Amino acid sequence: MEVLLQLLIGGILQGGIYALGAFGLSLIFGVLRVLNVAHGDFLILGAYATFLLYSTLGLSPFVALALVFPAFILIGMAVERAMIRPMRAQTAHEFLVASILITLGIALAVEDLLAFSMVQPVKGIDYSLAPFRVGSLVISTLRLLSLGVIVLLSVALHLFLQSTLQGKAIRAVIEDREGAMLAGINVLAVSRNTFGLGIALTSAAGVFFISIIPVEPHMGLPLTLKYLSIIVLGGIGNLPGTLLGAVILGCSESLVGFWWGAEWSLTVAFVILIAILLLRPKGLFG
Amino acid sequence: MRLGLAAAAVLAFLLLPWVATSYVISLAFALFLTAALAQSYDWVGGHLGYMNLGHAAFFGIGAYAFGIVFARGGGLPLAWAAAVLLPAAAALLMSYPFFRLRGAYFALATFGLVALLERLAGNLVGLTQGSEGLTIPTGYRLYPAYYTLLALCAALTLATWWLSRSRLGLALVAIREDEDAVGAYGVASFRFKCGTLTVSAAVAGLVGAVYTWQITYITPGDIFSLEKAVGPVVIAMIGGSGTVLGPLVGALLIEVIREFLRLKTQYLALTVYGIMLILVGLFIPGGLMRLRRHR
Repeated sequence: MEVLLQLLIGGILQGGIYALGAFGLSLIFGVLRVLNVAHGDFLILGAYATFLLYSTLGLSPFVALALVFPAFILIGMAVERAMIRPMRAQTAHEFLVASILITLGIALAVEDLLAFSMVQPVKGIDYSLAPFRVGSLVISTLRLLSLGVIVLLSVALHLFLQSTLQGKAIRAVIEDREGAMLAGINVLAVSRNTFGLGIALTSAAGVFFISIIPVEPHMGLPLTLKYLSIIVLGGIGNLPGTLLGAVILGCSESLVGFWWGAEWSLTVAFVILIAILLLRPKGLFG
Repeated sequence: MRLGLAAAAVLAFLLLPWVATSYVISLAFALFLTAALAQSYDWVGGHLGYMNLGHAAFFGIGAYAFGIVFARGGGLPLAWAAAVLLPAAAALLMSYPFFRLRGAYFALATFGLVALLERLAGNLVGLTQGSEGLTIPTGYRLYPAYYTLLALCAALTLATWWLSRSRLGLALVAIREDEDAVGAYGVASFRFKCGTLTVSAAVAGLVGAVYTWQITYITPGDIFSLEKAVGPVVIAMIGGSGTVLGPLVGALLIEVIREFLRLKTQYLALTVYGIMLILVGLFIPGGLMRLRRHR
């Protein structure tokens, strides 16, 4: 029973980390109609940035988050401006193909360059806080604090989308791109901002990821795949559904990892994806 | 004129083993391997318009099916049959969930198939020897393997040429351009999609079997590597996806670049791949074969 509780707590935290990145992927897909294949690689980049800040300046992951998040907003905006926007002129099928080619290209180049530039590509940080006990249950303070910040970020994102002008514009473009244009929304600016926001969210997930699990460059594309399972599970553009999908994936991975071994975790994501496609093609809550 | 050029090329490749060293022959073997994979990928990716990033999964099923049957003394005919039939059966089964997806989702889900099979091949140690790799009885098979792939490439190109001017090809292109409209005209698009994927997977499995036959040693990390997964897609795109000669042109270009990189540096091959993808996506999304028509 206690083991089960521990596993579920671990799974929920893992799910929260997945959810942050999946929000970003979902928003980017909703607004730009681009499936960002390099999404998981931006998580890895965020994680390495955290590692650098920790190992050179001794910054804790929570301080690093405050630097990484804005930096990746700018990086995301630059990527959108340089590589995504120039494709807009093409027809729908060409745009889809070109967008996958370009983001896949970014993913391959980033992973290969990261692996090449490091003697020892597996990086983790040994930052930890004293755990505390509830009854006989040992809970990691770091994990709980991370979960708290993730929840805060999710709530902030929800409020941003619901009540600010830019957030409403993002939702309007997801709903109907042409209609949003007619209503005077600057769709190009919204696209740029959404890409920046989505990339920053996944880099934030990277900050928490590396404080819990060591990362290596080639984790990027499998992560993108997990994000895909999550947004198919939760329904595209549906934030509460995405959150629930992420927690389901996180918990099932943690349980399967305990019983059969961690090497089966990607298989679980894939089996869930296939099952959802067969049973509920529009997502669990779609 | 064109026919003459094609005949001359085939004749040159037929006679190549008499004049060239075995180094050149193995280069040509690698070229045929990439070309055959790219050409069979392109039926689904280019003509049908479904970007199948999991083509390497069928290649891998074929490679492993052949290797497992042959290593356990199942005999060559059974091994070849397994290498064609198993990927085809897998494709048939995968059609049902996967063709519920369109566009980018289909691409990523099929990409997941490769990752999944890599884990399975690594984890099912009893069947595949896991990450240690599977070895089959060796023998000098470069020349028969070379001719097999040469014949396969020629057949695939002929088949693609036929496809490009048949009613079947027309149906595939129509599905690519507007699947809903095709459905409205009463064409059962699922049958076309399922059939094309199955045939394409069978060919990929056959290529995988030739690969195992010639290389004699395969590991999950090699068969289901990122490079093998994106290779056919990149090559078809660079050459011109949905054209008859595009995949061949792309394969030639990529193999020349890859060999050049291998001589100059051991590293960064994937980075070069990635940068080429970005450049092709930005500047020539139609591929090299379509450059002419636009001008």
